[in-house]
Amino acid sequence: MITFGILSQIAALFFTLLSMGLLLSGLGRNNVRLVQAGKRGLLSAMAATTLASIALLSLFLTDSFQVEYVASYSDRALPLFYKITAFWAGQKGSLLFWAWVLSLFIGMVIFNNRKEPDNRNTPYVYLVLAGTLSFFLFLLCAVSNPFDTLNFLPRDGQGLNPMLQNPGMIFHPPILFFGYIGFTVPYAYAIAAMITGNTGVDWIRKTRVWNVLSWIFLSIGIILGGQWAYVELGWGGYWAWDPVENASFIPWLVSTAFIHTAIIQERRGIMKVWNMVLIQLTFLLCIFGTYLVRSGILQSVHDFGATGLGGYFIIFMVIATIGGIYLLAESYNEFKTPGSVESYLSRESTFLFNNVILLALAFATLLGTVFPIISEAVTGNKLTVGQPFFNQVNTPLFLMLVLLTGICPLIGWRKASVSNLRRNFLRPAITALLAGIIMAAFGIRELYPLLAFTLSAFVGATIIQEYITAIRSRKKLSGESSALAGLKLLWKMRRRYGGHIVHFGLAMMVVGIAASSAYKLESQGTLRQGESLSIGDFVLKYESFRQYEKYNRTIYAATLGVFRDGTRIDEMEAERRYYVNAKQPTTEVAIRSTLVEDLYVTMPGIGKGNEITLKVAVNPLLIWIWFGSGLMVLGGILAIIPSRRKKS
Amino acid sequence: MIRNSLRVAPALLLTLLIFLLVPVAGFAELTETEVSESLICYACPGEPLNIDRCGGGNQMRAAISRLIKEGKSKPEILDFFVAEFGDSILTTVPKKGFNLVAYTGPLIGLLVGIPLAFFIIRRWGSAGRQQATDNASTERTATLDEKTRRQIEKELSELDEED
Repeated sequence: MITFGILSQIAALFFTLLSMGLLLSGLGRNNVRLVQAGKRGLLSAMAATTLASIALLSLFLTDSFQVEYVASYSDRALPLFYKITAFWAGQKGSLLFWAWVLSLFIGMVIFNNRKEPDNRNTPYVYLVLAGTLSFFLFLLCAVSNPFDTLNFLPRDGQGLNPMLQNPGMIFHPPILFFGYIGFTVPYAYAIAAMITGNTGVDWIRKTRVWNVLSWIFLSIGIILGGQWAYVELGWGGYWAWDPVENASFIPWLVSTAFIHTAIIQERRGIMKVWNMVLIQLTFLLCIFGTYLVRSGILQSVHDFGATGLGGYFIIFMVIATIGGIYLLAESYNEFKTPGSVESYLSRESTFLFNNVILLALAFATLLGTVFPIISEAVTGNKLTVGQPFFNQVNTPLFLMLVLLTGICPLIGWRKASVSNLRRNFLRPAITALLAGIIMAAFGIRELYPLLAFTLSAFVGATIIQEYITAIRSRKKLSGESSALAGLKLLWKMRRRYGGHIVHFGLAMMVVGIAASSAYKLESQGTLRQGESLSIGDFVLKYESFRQYEKYNRTIYAATLGVFRDGTRIDEMEAERRYYVNAKQPTTEVAIRSTLVEDLYVTMPGIGKGNEITLKVAVNPLLIWIWFGSGLMVLGGILAIIPSRRKKS
Repeated sequence: MIRNSLRVAPALLLTLLIFLLVPVAGFAELTETEVSESLICYACPGEPLNIDRCGGGNQMRAAISRLIKEGKSKPEILDFFVAEFGDSILTTVPKKGFNLVAYTGPLIGLLVGIPLAFFIIRRWGSAGRQQATDNASTERTATLDEKTRRQIEKELSELDEED
């Protein structure tokens, strides 16, 4: 199986390079059959990469510890489920996963376009896709081979990091990868459009689903990462501004900017050059994110360590950057379009300002992430840039973004009239103002939380106002009931309301983030059985202790009674786990979630006579972050459901 | 209009009610986590102390708890660790010297970006007006051509009649 895996990887690289040759020949000789053959070559590469992935999976499932990668991330006691997820637990397997998913995406592009005749763009699109795929396959074959074997046969593997033995680990990395990799498709179309001078909106329209879908995947990946950190790491937070987290967040910000300006190009035919810049930036930042994780140049809690891959990624990024700049410079005059915006008060203008803020956020995050390297190069002092820095620099920018999220939908295209502004702004502004006054009256005086709540109320009110107005209009016209009119609106105007739902979700997230950050309560204590610890309105009573074995771990669990106003309202179980082959025990968080707050309990220590140390926190409105992010994803999905009417 | 707007929609009330869920307990006393999120574990470089769970981190957390009990403020506790390990023990970049680049970079980006956005919109505006003028003149030309054509047709038909 090892030889089969290695040969499959080599075959995949061969087919990809062959495809590139055929596509180039097809272009040179203007021969469609050669282009067709190039596409078939890419399908063969997809099949070969799939076989290599199956080979690695089967090596994990058969405990083939002579393979170094399998021995490093699996052991005999590891549950079957995690043996599968160990595929992408390390950098070698992740690279194979990257190549596999990219080859599948290329297959999907070929399948989607099967009914369309090849045009001038086609060979270039596949050339870019094949070029990217060949880079990853080259790394797998020559630099970082997951099928490398050890000189001896270990009796058992080292096992999977206990932190990664969590359901979140199944979905977080692959979904994040889907997002990263998905942006390769619109990038390829953009490059092809620049080469052929196809200045229309074709490439934007053709790749809209890929853009939004990749953005959705990136969003889900980021959210799942935060959720995994919250339930698994036990430090009570969900986002630590760690370099690897930032590596996914930066392309998310730039792609969000791109999705907005792509709408302008579709609607108004302007911002063509800017969109080319944004999609290239998004793609490069996705590669940069992968590089950051794999190179080990920055210390991260994700700890992939130095891998020697950094140089290859830098070469790839330099080629892509120089190539992109050259093509942009060459095609600039063709893509440059005279604008036709009549006022600063237009939706186009607010989109542009939203781009400025999103890019400023991306830049601030990028600067903070790489600042330790810059600082070391300039001053010789390697600093660590952590949470407080990012919170300080990014919070005002986020608040500006939330404000713009509220303003954008209220302003019409081209030019908004004063009466239009008054009509649209008055109610949301009053709502936000009242919300702010009431919260201030109830004691919320800290500037940032107060602004966050007020602006979120503004965003929520703008969307609700718009929706209710539209429902009323539809009811008048069709005589439908409110519920039916509301549902039909959602379905018939999916793009519009999908976007609104995304914005509403964002507002909910902002409320959750602000409340759980600013009004978090914490307490810590050591308890004997029968003793209690209080926090906020809650009292936690240590009731019982038990020890048992499950799968590959020994579990020590403390049962805690949750009391409020003297009444026992619930029960929680905090755990400490000792995994086979693990160097350190881990804590398993107990969380009691309600709409109002999360009661969050970890057990960092167990002493003599089963005396336990507890760390307890109350995180207000934290669940709003998960609900809000869920809404964002749902909105995104709604926005890309194709319209049957448009197709016909 | 204003009276109409003040007849607040149920949605507005709902929004307000939801926001009243926010607890108003205010900021609690200084906690170990509040301090530890500003520090790096000395034993695990790069790992924030509030996330780290190693033995070295436990020593630092114990020291923080002791200093809090002694009534020290957060800046005093951070100063204690900086004196011991230097600036690199902090997760916040000190605002001095070259580090100011990290703080001013995004600000400079905004100071450049926002006027640039205004400039672009202004240019769009003038280009739009120019385009509108061009369109209008094209329409005028088209009208004139149409008139000329009709005039020619009329004269030709008159000629036919004359014939």
